[in-house]
Order: sequence, then structure tokens, then C-alpha cells
Amino acid sequence: MDECQSAIPAHDGDLHVVAAAHHIVKALGTTKNLSDDLRKILIDLDAHLSLITSNIDSKGGKGFVEVEERLKRVERKIVIWESDRIMIWDSGPKEASDYLEAVDEVQTLIDSLRGLSMNENQKQKELLHRASSLLQMAMSRLEEELIHMLVKHKQQSEPTYIPSPSSQRNVVYNESVVSLDNESAKEASSKNSCSDECGEYIVDLVPEHVIPDIKSIAKVMFASDYGQEFCEAFIGVRKEALEQHFDILENGKLSIEDLLKMEWCSLSTEMNKWTWSMKIIFGVYLMSEKRLCDQVLGEFGSVNSFCFLEIAKTTILCLLNFGEAIAMGPQEPEKLLRLLDMYETLADLVIDIDALFSEDGGSFVRLEFHKLLEGLADSVKAAFNAFGVAVSSNGSLYPFPGGGVHPLSKYVMNYISMFPEYCSTLNLLLEDQHSDVASLVSEPQCGPTASLSTSCPMACHLRSITSSLESNLHKKSKLYKDEALQHIFLMNNLHYMVQKVKGSELRPFFGDEWIRKHNAKFQQHEMNYERVTWSSVVLLLKDDNPGSSSLSKSAFKEKCKGFSIAFEEVYKNQTSWCIPDPQLREDLRISTSLKVVHAYRTFLGRNPAHVDDKCIKHTVEDVEKLLFDLFEGSPRSLRNSRRMMKT
Amino acid sequence: MPATDYQASFLGRISIRRNQVIAMDGNHEQELQDLELFSKHVSERFAELLSSPDDVPFDALLSISWLRKLLDFFLCCEAEFKGILMMGNDPSQISKPPLDRLIPEFLDRSVKALDVCNAVTNGLESVRHYQKLAEIVVSALEQKPIGDGQSRRAKKTLTSLISAMNVDDKECSAAKATERSWSFSRRGVSSKDRVPEHFRSVSNHVAKNWSAAKQIQAMTNNLVPPRGAEGSGLASPVYTMSVIMVFVMWALVAAIPCQERNGLSAIHFPAPKQLNWAQSIIGLHEKIGEEWKKKEKKGTAGLLDEMQKMEKLGNILMDFTDSFQFHGDITDQKAEEAAAHAAELAEPCRRMEEGLLPLQMQIREVFHRIVKTRTELLNALDQVGKSSPPLL
Repeated sequence: MDECQSAIPAHDGDLHVVAAAHHIVKALGTTKNLSDDLRKILIDLDAHLSLITSNIDSKGGKGFVEVEERLKRVERKIVIWESDRIMIWDSGPKEASDYLEAVDEVQTLIDSLRGLSMNENQKQKELLHRASSLLQMAMSRLEEELIHMLVKHKQQSEPTYIPSPSSQRNVVYNESVVSLDNESAKEASSKNSCSDECGEYIVDLVPEHVIPDIKSIAKVMFASDYGQEFCEAFIGVRKEALEQHFDILENGKLSIEDLLKMEWCSLSTEMNKWTWSMKIIFGVYLMSEKRLCDQVLGEFGSVNSFCFLEIAKTTILCLLNFGEAIAMGPQEPEKLLRLLDMYETLADLVIDIDALFSEDGGSFVRLEFHKLLEGLADSVKAAFNAFGVAVSSNGSLYPFPGGGVHPLSKYVMNYISMFPEYCSTLNLLLEDQHSDVASLVSEPQCGPTASLSTSCPMACHLRSITSSLESNLHKKSKLYKDEALQHIFLMNNLHYMVQKVKGSELRPFFGDEWIRKHNAKFQQHEMNYERVTWSSVVLLLKDDNPGSSSLSKSAFKEKCKGFSIAFEEVYKNQTSWCIPDPQLREDLRISTSLKVVHAYRTFLGRNPAHVDDKCIKHTVEDVEKLLFDLFEGSPRSLRNSRRMMKT
Repeated sequence: MPATDYQASFLGRISIRRNQVIAMDGNHEQELQDLELFSKHVSERFAELLSSPDDVPFDALLSISWLRKLLDFFLCCEAEFKGILMMGNDPSQISKPPLDRLIPEFLDRSVKALDVCNAVTNGLESVRHYQKLAEIVVSALEQKPIGDGQSRRAKKTLTSLISAMNVDDKECSAAKATERSWSFSRRGVSSKDRVPEHFRSVSNHVAKNWSAAKQIQAMTNNLVPPRGAEGSGLASPVYTMSVIMVFVMWALVAAIPCQERNGLSAIHFPAPKQLNWAQSIIGLHEKIGEEWKKKEKKGTAGLLDEMQKMEKLGNILMDFTDSFQFHGDITDQKAEEAAAHAAELAEPCRRMEEGLLPLQMQIREVFHRIVKTRTELLNALDQVGKSSPPLL
């Protein structure tokens, strides 16, 4: 453009050349199917040529007449809208493009007048002021149109699916030891796996058809050096829209102080919301916002990334601060799964965050989130360790009634059965503590011959937790005075652990070797129980004098009585004991039955002469039946059961 | 970087001391020396801040560079403090009276400071917005010749700037400002005096009833100078560090737009003048407090030096654009004056452009440092707790 200016002809002879050129330009301008850029060039050229003409004319005293005429024409086009209450872009595309054309013309006139400023002409100065004034009016109007457009269309672009975090994820682990039945434990810790559902996907924050309009305003405002105004208005509306979306996600605006004091129940809900919000805000909104900024401002240098950062910053800081508050909080074991959710969410998003804020100005954001990711990793580790500590240090003052499956076993086994879902993350985070634990867990699987799944860090940590659980259970078993009940308790709990491992995703991490070994362990307790309870009873029936064929009547009677008393004692005690697993209960009864009934039958069979009702309180069949009352968890006295049997 | 210098020398001293074989008495003597050195450094640093010359704009009280220096000193003091508390002494000391009470109180204060850091970081976003508006004013008025168009452009932006600064101060709740900013329609708005569009407000990062002033007031709870024998022990650096922390947060809140600052000047520092290290802090507190009282009545976005300059020049230029509108034209002399003021306005803009992001990052650094120390202290307390016989 400046080149054109410098070529202002001084000689009258050039006038013809200028006039001819002007003519050609005008003719070209009438051609249809011209590209916008080309048309703009022609319009500019036209303006310059007419100015040159008028400049040359001014020698004759007329001066700037044509410029003034043109200014008046566009003035009418621009001023007419000032009194109108309808927005230009709402009136129709024709109105909009006419207006933009008028603004272009003003800008062209200003450029041309400025170009001539070496000529200190009062008229020229006056025209320049008038044109700038007109430009300001138009720019102010365009800014208003832009805001109106952005506000009007922003509501329509909300993705429709935003669900509030579902209540089922908010079931609580209030204490580290709660007897959750399997069902609710599964539900409570079901992983927030929405990453597959929503992932990253870009929505139209502003409807597609509006973008060209916004761009056309951007173009003309930037061309007139009003780019800053455009950016501030654009940032203002978009920033607010993003904050509204953020509010819809129901993130409580909580201070760190509030969060650190919060009850676990509410905190868990907040942590879920954060996980969800991160996915939506980064994966959907910021991705889309970035695209919008690029679409609208991509042509104007680095302003797009500046605007994007300004729009996003406050919302991002909110999310960041929540993360920081959680990462600095005390890492209780019950937080582990929620922390893992948070960690995994951020780990998945970090690449996106790096891409979104790849420019220098965004390094701050990138850095902070990487720092937060580290913080969350440490929190996961801390919570994991706290979980281990809680498992081994959980103490009881009283024995667990009935010797059944302890709530701690249920809690721990149900809780860790969620871990395989986080396997790769846990393997990554527990790697550095791996060697310590691996040496602690003296399972052969951790050796060099182990398969991959049983030797990974998570597997070793899992086995370390179950071995803590085992030693804690041993401690708890000592609370029973009755040695037989100690064995029942350990048998029950070990059996429960094995069943849980076998019936869940845990199996590959524990391996067959572990299962075999622990099967053997609970079977050992089963045998020990039999030995402790029944050996002495069976011993009463033993032949003191293996040589002789039968006992004396009194000796027989004595033995019978001893047996009855011992048996009734066991019966009275052990009907209140509990073996929750029906199969295990059945097996134990059968093997007991085999041992006791067999001994009893042999004893009676060896002394057929004395067998009569008077001295035999329980028949073989009675004993066989009575044994089936054991371990039902409901205490019975033998008199009742006998009466029942007689009827 | 002064921060690292101080840290390095401090760590150096620690390691030298570790190599010495110290008897019990020697240990105590060393501790006393450390404490003395700590308060000497505190006193020196704050004296430097107090002596900041007002006539050198770059280093003026509550300017961006002054605040950065303040935060730098905070980080230095903090590093030294942590060293004294955690490295040099028998760790079990922190769980014994009076520290068993003072440390949890200190940690409580730390958490409150974190929320203040976040509020201030958020407030800097508003300052950034002022800067952008002021830049528009500058670019409108630096054009020559200044005509009606430029004057209108400047006036429109100045109106936004001045009202934004006032909104931030009086009604920090985002809701009110927001409603007003975007819900206006063209209906009923005369074309000449449209409502400024550049309205933007501080977004709440916390609940609406959160108050920066109350937060800082709460930080002063239980903050009393150690008395008697306590004065010579570890209670004194805990107290000193607490006062520094409260003061730094207080100064930040006074300087930068922040949610709800009513009663900020009423916050009383329980720092007795006879304590050597406290004198400069008290001096600064009085100086800033006076300033705040003056501005508080008529409302201010904050005492940040660059922002005050912006406000002052903004008002002058606003008068200029008003008279321009009224007379339709101006004398050359007036135009030159306006151009000079616009050039002057460019200066705080430039300093904001250079300094705001580093300041924001430094506040973040302070944030992380406070978190880190808190975690370390909690871990130390935990360790001490574990070594004592368990309850089980």
C-alpha cells in the first residue's frame, strides 16, 4: 500500500495513465466470481487511484471532494445503524456484508489519508478525524455485535449428556474396617471408567455457521488495529461460558481449609466430581475452546494461544487447587481408589494438557499439572502404604464371635479385588518400592522362574497385604481361649481368602502356587481342629486292653458315659460356632463324622453284649445326625435336639 | 537468586555443625546461635524492604518488583526456619510442650495462607485484565494526531477500566457484575453512552462468603510472642515465622484484588516493638496500613503500585477525553499533555507485562513451599508419634 502512495504522480502527463488504470480497475471490479482477497485488493486500488486523482485535482483548488463524497456515503451506512435497535447480524447476511464493506471503505480512506500526511492540509486533517471517528463508532458497534453473537449462541452449544456423578460411586468406606457384603463393596469401588465413553471429543461451542461471521468481525477489527478490543470481548464471553460449564459440573468452590476438614463421605463425592470435571473440562471443553480460538484467531499470530490461556486460566486454577488440596491431605487407606481415579485421569490428560498449552505462556500450566501428577502419585503410594499398615495393625479386644469370617478379611479381600483394574498404574507407582516388598513376600513366584503376572510389583504388594492380613488374623485367633475355635477361625478366614482369590481378577496375580499353598494352610487348620476337638473324645473309646475281646460291663458303661459327656460338651459349644461356607462346613462334618462315627461304631461293635438302651445314650445314628448341627452358628443344647429326634 | 544463596550458606553451616562433636551444652549454644542468626536475617531483610525508596518507581513500596522481593525473602526465611526446626535439633522436641501446641497452630496458619495464595493468584488475573485495557488506552492515545475517534476509543476503554477496578473492590462476588455486563440489550441504551463491554469480574474460586480479611484475621489467632523461658527456645522462630507469614499474606491481599477485604486495616499484629527483628515489619505494617485506610474509603482495587499509577493516570486521561468530547477539539498543548500521560501509562503496563507472570509463578512457589514444609512437619510429628509406645 505504501508503495502505491510513493508513486503519486507529479506531472500532468501521468494523469492520463492514472485515469486509464483507474478505469481498468473499475472494470475488473465488476467481474463476478472474484475471490474475496482479490476483490479487496481491487477496492483498495480503486480508492488509491481516486485519491491520486483528487490530489492532482486539488491543484485546481477543488481538493478531496471525491474523498469527502465517499466518506459521506459510508457515514450514512454506518450511522444509520446507530439509531437502530436491531443487531446487524440478526437482520440478515446482506446487511452484515454491507456493513463490513462500509467499514472496509472507512479503513481504506483512513489509510489513504494517512499516506498523504506529508501534505499539511487542513481539509485532509479534518477528513482524517471524521474517518477515525467513524471507524471508532463502527468498531464499537462491531464489538457489541460480537458479544451479542457469542452470548446468543453459546447456550445452544452445551453438550447434552453431562451426567452428574452417579450416586453409586459415592458409597463410602467410612472406616477401614467395615463389614461390607461383597455386593456393595463391588459397587462402591466400581471404577470410574468413563474415559472410554467420553474420551476426548470436540463439540461446537459456537454453531458452525456462526464462525464465519465471528471471523469476519475479527478480520476487520484486526485490520483496523482494534485487535485488542476484539480479544478482550472474546475472552470475556468465552471465559464466562467456560465458568458456567464448570459450575454445571457442580464443583463446590471449596477452600483448601474446607477440604482438609471435610468428612470422608463428602470428600469422596468431591473427588469423583473432580475426576469427572477434569475429563469434561479438558477432554471436551478446552479441546473445543482451543479449536474455536484457532478457528477464529488462527490467522492473527499468537493471539489465539494468548486468548485461550486467558479464557481457561481461572477454571484450570480451580481444578488445580482441588488436586493440590487432595494431594496434601492425610492419605488414609480408604482414599486409595479415589486417588487412583484422580491419578489415572490426570495421567491420561497430561498429554492433552501439554498439547493445549504448548506455547511459552502456557508452560506454567503444564508445569503445575506435571507437579500435581507427581503429588498424586506420592499420595497413591502413601495411601497404599497406609492401607498395608491399617491391615496389619487393625486390632481387636474381643474375639470375633463364632469364629466366622472376620470383617477385616472381607474388607481387605473385597478392596484389593478392585486393584487389578488399576494394575498398570499400580505397577508403575509401586515399582520403586518393589524390591523391598518382593523380598518380604517369600513366595516362590517372586523368584526368577515366576510368570509375569505373579512377579509384577502389584502382585508382590498384593501378596504382602494378604500376608499382613494372615498375621493379623493369627493375632486375632489368639483371642479365643478354645484352641479348636482358633483353628476354625483361621480355617474360615484362609478359606475365604482363597475363595476370593480364585473367584476374581486377583487369581493371575496370586498364582496357582499361592492357592495351593493356602489351600494346604486351611486344610491344616481343619485337621488341627479335628485333632484338638475329637482326638481326646475318640481316645475315650479306645480299647485299653487290645488283647481281650470285650470290656467288662462297668468299664463299657464308664466309657460310654465319658463319651456322652464329652460329645455333649462339644455339641453344646460347637453348634454356636460358625462356618459360613456351606461346602467347607459339609466337608468338615463328613470328615469328622468319618472319624468319630467310625470310632463309635467300632467301639459298640466290639462290645455287642452290653449294647442296650440304658447305657448307650446316643446311638450311632444319633451321633451321625447330631454332628450335622455343628457350625450352624446357633447354639443348641443337646436335650432339645434329642427330644426333637424322638418325636 | 538471593533465595538460593541464603539456602546454600545455611546448609553449609548445618553440615559443618554435623561434623563437630558437640556436647549437650555446645548443642544448646549452637541452637542459640542459629536463632540469633535467624532473627538477624529477618531483621535485615525487612529493613531492606522498608527502606525501599518511593522515588524509584521500580522498587517502590508494593510495586511488582517489591512484592517479588518480599516473596523472595519469605522463601529465604522459610528455608532457614525449617532448617532450625527440623535439621538441627532432636526431632522429638517438636512433640514436646510448648511446640506440641505451637506447631499444629502453625500448620493451621499455613493452610489458611494457602487459600490466601490462591485468592491472590486469582486476583492477578484481574490485574492482567486491567493491563490489557490500559494498553488499549495507550495505543489509542499514542496515535497522532489525536482526534475524536481516538478520544472516544480511549474513553470507552477507560470507563471499562475504572469501573472494573471499582467492581473488583466493592463487589467481588462475580454474579452481580456478570449480570450487568452481558445481559444489557441494545434496547434502552443510548447509542452514545453504551454500557462498557469490557466488563469482567473476579471469578470466585471459593465460596461467596469467603473473606480474605477474615482469613488473615484468623491467621493471627493464638499468635502471641513467647514468654519467659520459651523465648529462648524453638517457640521463638515458630512465632517469628508465623508473623512473617501473616504479614506477607496481608501485604499481598492489600496489594492485589481479592475477595472481601473489609477490615483489613484493622488487623492487629501482636509483634512487640522491643523485638529487634519485628521493628521493620511493624514499620511496614503501619505504612501500608495507613495507605490502605486512605484508599479503603473511596474504594480501591488494591495498593499495587503499578495499579495505583494506572488508576491515577486513568482518571487524568478520563478528564481529558471528557473535555475533548465537550469541546469537540483540543489545544495542541492539551494534546501533548495527554500524549505524555499516555506514555506514562505505558510504563506500568510494561512492568505488568514483564512482572505479573513471574509474580504469579512466585506465589505458586510460595504455595508449594508451604505445602512441602507442612508435609515434612506432619511426617516428623508422625515419626515421633510412632517411636512413642503404641496405644494398642
